[in-house]
Amino acid sequence: MKRKDSSQLRAFWNEFRRVKFGTVGLALFAVFVLIVLFEPLLMPYPDANDRWRDMTYWLDSPRNAKPVWVNWFTSKDYAVADTIEPTSVTESQVGSLRMVMMEFEYDFHYQRPPADLQLVTTLTGNASIQMELIRPDGASLNYQRATSSSGTRDIRVSVAQNLQDKVFRLASAYADPDVIASENPETIDAMATMFAAAEPNMLRATNPLEGTYICKLTVALTSADSRVDDAMLVIAGGVAGWMGTDASKRDIWSGLIAGTKWALLIGLVTSFVSVAIGVVYGVVAGYFGGWVDSMMNRIFEVFLSMPLLPILIVMGAVFKPSIWTMIIMMCLFFWVGPVKTVRSMALQIKENTYIEAAKALGASHGRIVFKHLLPQLVPYAFATMALSVPSAIVYEASISLIGLGDATVVTWGQILQDAYASGAVLQGTWWWVVPPGLAIALMGMTFAFIGFAMDTILNPKLRTR
Amino acid sequence: MSEPILRVENLKKWFPVKRSIRQVLSGERTQVKAVDGISFDVQKGEIFGLVGESGCGKTTTGKLIMKLLDSTDGKMYMEGEDVTGISGDALAAHRRKVQMIFQDPYASMNPRFKILDVLMEPLVIHGVGETSQERETWAIKALEEVKLTPPDEFLSRHPHMLSGGQRQRAATARTLMLSPSIIVADEPVSMIDLSTRAEILHMMRQVQRELGLTYIYITHDLSTARYFTDRLAVMYLGRIVEMGVAGEVIDNTLHPYSKALIAAVCEPVSGRVNRIKEVPIKGEIPAATNIPQGCRFHPRCVYATQACWEQPEPELFDAGNGHMVACRRYEEILEKGDAAKTSEAEF
Repeated sequence: MKRKDSSQLRAFWNEFRRVKFGTVGLALFAVFVLIVLFEPLLMPYPDANDRWRDMTYWLDSPRNAKPVWVNWFTSKDYAVADTIEPTSVTESQVGSLRMVMMEFEYDFHYQRPPADLQLVTTLTGNASIQMELIRPDGASLNYQRATSSSGTRDIRVSVAQNLQDKVFRLASAYADPDVIASENPETIDAMATMFAAAEPNMLRATNPLEGTYICKLTVALTSADSRVDDAMLVIAGGVAGWMGTDASKRDIWSGLIAGTKWALLIGLVTSFVSVAIGVVYGVVAGYFGGWVDSMMNRIFEVFLSMPLLPILIVMGAVFKPSIWTMIIMMCLFFWVGPVKTVRSMALQIKENTYIEAAKALGASHGRIVFKHLLPQLVPYAFATMALSVPSAIVYEASISLIGLGDATVVTWGQILQDAYASGAVLQGTWWWVVPPGLAIALMGMTFAFIGFAMDTILNPKLRTR
Repeated sequence: MSEPILRVENLKKWFPVKRSIRQVLSGERTQVKAVDGISFDVQKGEIFGLVGESGCGKTTTGKLIMKLLDSTDGKMYMEGEDVTGISGDALAAHRRKVQMIFQDPYASMNPRFKILDVLMEPLVIHGVGETSQERETWAIKALEEVKLTPPDEFLSRHPHMLSGGQRQRAATARTLMLSPSIIVADEPVSMIDLSTRAEILHMMRQVQRELGLTYIYITHDLSTARYFTDRLAVMYLGRIVEMGVAGEVIDNTLHPYSKALIAAVCEPVSGRVNRIKEVPIKGEIPAATNIPQGCRFHPRCVYATQACWEQPEPELFDAGNGHMVACRRYEEILEKGDAAKTSEAEF
């Protein structure tokens, strides 16, 4: 028996390979499964799963950055987001002060400046910091800050926000007096000016100055227990990651990868369980007919007429919203989908002579239902499953939309919901809307392809000898 | 005469008809009397034919014998045992002994099953055979029996890859799997090309002789019935009107209905193709919900007299040599028939 099963499976596989779109569907499915398996390797932000909604985790990313491959299609490249570690760290003793000197080098070879340049470090105890930014043409600006506290704190110096006036002063040395008079330190684009070629029109910065920008950081540690840690230069580029970032600085690529497993889980479990229940229910109702059918129809109608959304809202109020409660609730209400069709198909199939022949042979009801009726509905069941996979994912997204989503996980629906809530389409941040939408569509297509391929194989009348 | 393998006594099958509210309130009951009291014996090893036009109840009779339908009244004995109201294990045992060949070989096998699965199904259902290899050898044997050779080639095919004749052979093979004693063949060749009919019937006959089977052959086709059956019963509107040895019934017809039936057989002989015979019968078959008074054939009988509908319905009686007929006036009609002869008209 074992031998026969494996050969049957092989025969099925040989058939399946011949259906082109089935292979495409299977390949896509394999890709999704591989993404889930190699998730840690694919995610640049490995904690995206747990800290998706933790704003502090995403501080070092740019806001609303485009995907990096946008640079492939534009003549004026955007600066790529990056974090730069110090190239050199030297420590020296000047009297009672310990001086820590660090140097960062930033190679700027783009046509559009980054959105921000931030110096980030952690200080402990009393310390004062001094930062010097040196442009490739030798012009520089200085920034000093003394802090006194016994605790540990994060220091973040943003050129775009904290150093606007210094940039303005730097530019004033070159700029046209008329332009200086018409501009205001608070309204200039500090980053554009900072990375602009030294020329009279510098404040309205157009021509970028390419080359190596050097940032020198000097920390004077005044007390014995003072320390400086984790210093780095954060370049908030115009492009970041494979799919860009959203308005909350989150890496959308990481979100998509993290959402894949939930999409697969929600889609597969919900559609499989609900369609399996629905098909068996419909077949049993259709096959037995009579009062069994009537009773089962009434139960079916009760479930059909119960609106899922209000129930889910109540569930959300009673229980903590969780992806599992959601899946269970969807299974509990989605099974009604195939029932009517399957019942009518069963009514039709059971009139076939071979059902009567099986009865004449003494076949039990169970055998007739499972051996004669159900196999004929498998293609339909797969098609329904394929169709309800995306609908389950979309339903999850809808539930997320009304704030009843599971806040502990990242789903494509929730990414879309965030995009919708912050008006991504109006802002033109298409990379926030299109990829999750495309992912949902692709997932749906995968299952539709597999379903249709199975239909052609499992329906022998479509087969040729 | 030895104990008959199957004895049917006054078997009835009435189907209830959906009633309107008015009918329910007035207590009016209408029923389709598909089978309305038939009795016959089938001897072991014989081929018993049931003939009649559509709607006469012959298929219902077959299903009653198969226990696919429960009878309304009457008794049925299998090898002397009462099988009228059996269920459970007794029913399972009955189904091993009685098998059926269906009219439509295109529909009687699950299109998703391979021939091997079709043949193994009865074995699986009844838990016969230890291993699948053992079952497979039996399936091969059954295919050889029905001359579907080489069997290996057919085992892996699906029913739709077979011709009508091959399918009916496969269907016959399936009935042989459990070594039954009775096979009910419900118009087994009516949907098969004329060219293969004789072949199939010949095969069935051969199988019957080799395995000592008993057939109940249900058909509307008198020519194959004559060729194939040993004894014949002609049914009309749920009742047997004439029964006897096949040759006797067809050559020496007594009942006016049987005569009409025989006269209706087409003869595609050159020179006669363009003639349509005047069949000695009138009108249409009445609804089985509303059986005529007296002799149920009288509205269509060309010889009917007042006595036919005023006297109670005639029972089957022996007209000599075991040739049974349900017509009181058959002798009188025979004489008339001889005088008038069946006339033929130009088409």
